[in-house]
Amino acid sequence: MTLQLLINGISLGSVYALIAVGFALIFNILKFSNFSHGGLMSVTAYIGYVASVFFGRYIKALPLFVVTLVAAALGGGLLAMVVERVAFRRLRNSNSSVIYYFISSITMGILMENSVTIFASSNFYSYPSFFPTTVIRFGALSVAIPDLLTFLFSGLSLVILLVVLFRTKIGLAIRSTSFDTGTAKLMGMDPNRVVAATFFASGVLGGVAGVFLGINYTLYPQLGQLIVKGFVASVIGGLGSISGALIGAVLLGIVEIFLIGLVGAGWSPVVIFVIMLVFLLLRPRGISGVIVQEKA
Amino acid sequence: MEYLVSTLTFTGITLIGVLGVYMVTGLTGLFSFGQAAFLAIGAYISAVLYKNLGFPLPLAAFVAMVVGLAAGLLVGLPTVRLRRDYISLVTFGFGEAIIAVLNNTANITGGAMGLSGVPQRTSFPLVLVSVIVCVAVVISYKNSKYGRQCLALRNDELAAKSMGINVERLKLVTFLIAGVMTSFAGVLYVFYTTYVEPGAFGWVISAEWMIIVFVGGVNSLTGAVVATVLLTGLPEFLRFASEWRIAIYCIVVLLILNFRPSGIFGEHEISLGFLRRLFRKGAGAA
Amino acid sequence: MSSLEVKGLSKAFGGVKAIDDFSFEVDGHDIVGIIGPNGAGKTTVFNLLTGVYSLDAGRVFLDGKELTGLPQHAITRAGIARTFQNIRLFRGLNVLENVMTAADPYSDYNLLDVCFFTPRKRRREHAVRDLSRSYLKIVGLEGYEKEKPESLPYGLQRKLELARALATNPKVLLLDEPAAGLNPSEVRAFIDLVRTIHGRFQFSIIIIEHRLEVVMELSSKIFVLNFGKLLASGTPAEIVCHKAVTEAYLGQEET
Repeated sequence: MTLQLLINGISLGSVYALIAVGFALIFNILKFSNFSHGGLMSVTAYIGYVASVFFGRYIKALPLFVVTLVAAALGGGLLAMVVERVAFRRLRNSNSSVIYYFISSITMGILMENSVTIFASSNFYSYPSFFPTTVIRFGALSVAIPDLLTFLFSGLSLVILLVVLFRTKIGLAIRSTSFDTGTAKLMGMDPNRVVAATFFASGVLGGVAGVFLGINYTLYPQLGQLIVKGFVASVIGGLGSISGALIGAVLLGIVEIFLIGLVGAGWSPVVIFVIMLVFLLLRPRGISGVIVQEKA
Repeated sequence: MEYLVSTLTFTGITLIGVLGVYMVTGLTGLFSFGQAAFLAIGAYISAVLYKNLGFPLPLAAFVAMVVGLAAGLLVGLPTVRLRRDYISLVTFGFGEAIIAVLNNTANITGGAMGLSGVPQRTSFPLVLVSVIVCVAVVISYKNSKYGRQCLALRNDELAAKSMGINVERLKLVTFLIAGVMTSFAGVLYVFYTTYVEPGAFGWVISAEWMIIVFVGGVNSLTGAVVATVLLTGLPEFLRFASEWRIAIYCIVVLLILNFRPSGIFGEHEISLGFLRRLFRKGAGAA
Repeated sequence: MSSLEVKGLSKAFGGVKAIDDFSFEVDGHDIVGIIGPNGAGKTTVFNLLTGVYSLDAGRVFLDGKELTGLPQHAITRAGIARTFQNIRLFRGLNVLENVMTAADPYSDYNLLDVCFFTPRKRRREHAVRDLSRSYLKIVGLEGYEKEKPESLPYGLQRKLELARALATNPKVLLLDEPAAGLNPSEVRAFIDLVRTIHGRFQFSIIIIEHRLEVVMELSSKIFVLNFGKLLASGTPAEIVCHKAVTEAYLGQEET
C-alpha cells in the first residue's frame, strides 16, 4: 500500500517538479519570483486542449498526446517570451527595483488567467482521454497510465533542459548570466537573447506542466494557481537552486499523497503550509543549502 | 444616492485594507499575499461569535482583532528573518491555508457555501470615522522613527542593520499592526455585506491591494488613498464591461508600470503646507 | 576611551581563506589603519567585525564585552559603526532623514505614543531632528537637509555616510575606503575633517584605505594584510621601510 502511495507521490511530484523548475529558472537568472508562471500554465493548458481537439480529428492516442504536449510546450515558450518582452524588459533596462518586477508579474499572471476565464466563460472543458486502458499492473501495484506518462515526460523535459543548460552554447550563456550579468555582457553575450531564451525554456516547462495539470485536475481557469505547489517545492528545495527545486518537488508530491491519505484533500493546504513553516524554521536555506550571501 | 453611499462604504473598507498593505509593502517593502486572510479572520471570527455565540458586537470585534494579532504572530515570527521572496511564498501559503480551514469547518463557518444571515451593523459614518482614525495612525507612523526605519530597511536592509535598526522586530511590528487593522476591516466588511464565503478572500485580493498602492505611488500615502477611491469606484462604473473589467485593470497597471513606474503620486504627499500654498495661489489670483 | 580587541579572526569562502588568524588591538583614542593589496581581505575584516559575515573562528571584544556572534544591529548599538566602500545611502529618504535613521534606535518613545500623537513623541522627534542637524553641520552638510542623497555630488555623499555613522554614537568608527574617488583637494579636506571629528569625539577610528597619504597622516599604527594574513604592523614610519610590505605592493626587487 505504501509503495503504491509512493509511486503516486513520485508521479505527482514530477508535475510539481516541472512547475518548480520552470519557476526556479527565472529566479536563478533574474533573481525574482515570476508570479505570472501560474497564469501561463492556465493558458497553456487550454492551448493544449485546443490542439487536442484540432488534431484529434486526424490522430489518436499516443501521437495525439505528444502533439498536444508539443503544442502546449511551444505555445508556452512563445507566450513566455512575449510576457518577458511586455512585462519585464523595460524594467530590466531601466534597472528597476524588485517591487516593479513583482507587481508586473502578478498583474501579468492575473491578466493571463483572466483571459482564459473570458475564453472559457462558464463552459466546462476537459482533455479527451488519450488512452484506451488507464492502468498498468505490476504485480500488486498499479500505475495509472497518465501518471506514468507524467513521470516519463516530466523526466524527459527536465533531462532535455539539463542537456541544453550544460551542453549547448546558449545554455552556457544562461548559466554565466545567472552568475554575473555584467561580466557576461562583457564577454559578448547579449543579455536580451539570454533572458529571452531563459523565458522560453521556462515557458516550455510551464506548457508541459499545464497539460499534465489539465489532465490530472481537469481544465479550469484557476488551474495555474497550483503554482503555489511549485513555490513550496522551491522553498523546500532552496530558492536559487534548480536541483533543489526538483528534489523539493518530488518530496512535496510524496508527502502530499501521504497526507491526503491521512487527513483528506481538503486539509492538505493547511498541512502543507505548516510543513513549509516548520521547514523554514529548521532549515531556512532549504535542502540544497544555497544561501545568496550579500556582500558589503 | 444610496448606491453612492454603498460604494463609498465599500471603498472605505477597502481603504483600510490598502492602508495595511501600504505599511507592509509601501513602507517596509514586504510583499504579503496574505493580507486578505486577515480580512477573512476578522470577518468570520466576529460573525461567528456574534451570531452563534451571542457575543455583543464590540466584544466580537475585539476578539476578532486579537485573533488577527495572534495569526500575525504565528505567521510573522518565523517569516521575518527570511528573505523577501520567502515572505511572499509563506504569506501566500498562509492565505490558502486559512481558506482551506474555512472550507473545511462547514459546521461552524458554513464552509464553501458561506456564512449568511449576518445583520447589517456597519454604517457609512462608522466606516468614515474608522477610515479617518486609521489614516491618522498611519500618518503618525510614517512620520516617526518607525516609518523612517521601515523605509530605510526597505531600501537597503544591510545598511539599515548597520545603523542599529532591529530589522526583524520592525518588520514584525509593522506586519502585526497591518494585520490587526485589516482584521478590523474584516469585521466592518462582514457586518456590511451580511454574507461571506471563503473564496472572496483569496490571494488575488491581496494582490489587488498591492496593485492599488503601487498605482498610487508606492511611496505615497496620499497616492494610496486616491488610488483606492479611483480603482474601487471605477469598476463600479465599469459594471457593464464586467467580463473585461479585470483585463482592463491589468492593462492599465501594465501601462503605468511601463510609462510612469513611480505611480500617480510618485513620492509626493499632500501635506498641509502644500494645501496652504495652493490656497494662497488661488487667493492671489482672485 | 575604549578598547577593541580582536583575536584570531578567520573566515573562509568555499576553499579560499579570506582571513587567516588575524589579531589586533585598538586602544582608546587611536586612529589605526589597515592597508594591503587588493583582495587582501580588508573589507572582509570590517564585515566580520560588524557581523555581516559570521566568523569561522576568532573573538571580538569591545571594552571587555564580547561581541562575537551578535546580530548586526546589536553590534552597532554596542558601539561599532561603519561606512561603506560602495556608498549605501537610503534613497527613499532625504539627507536629514538618512542621519535620523541612525539616531532613531536611541529615540525613546513607543507605538502608543505614535497612535495617540502624544507630546512625548513630538518632543523626541524634535530632539532627533536637532541632533541629526548637528551632525550634518559637523561634516559640513548643513543646508542640504531636504536634498535627496542620490542627487548629491560624490564627495558630499561620502560626508553623509560619515554623518550617519556618527549619529549611531559609536565607540569605534570603521571607515571603509572613505577617500575613494575624491580628488586631491577633497582628500586634503577629508583628512582635516577626520582629525576634527576625532578630536571632538572620544572614539577610536579604523581606516581602510588605498590612498597611502591618508593612512600615513592619520594613523598612529598600521596593520598590513596580504592574502588574509597579517604581514606587518607598526607605526607609519616603520611600515614604509618594511621590506615585506614594499614587496607585497611592488614586487620583489630585481638584482
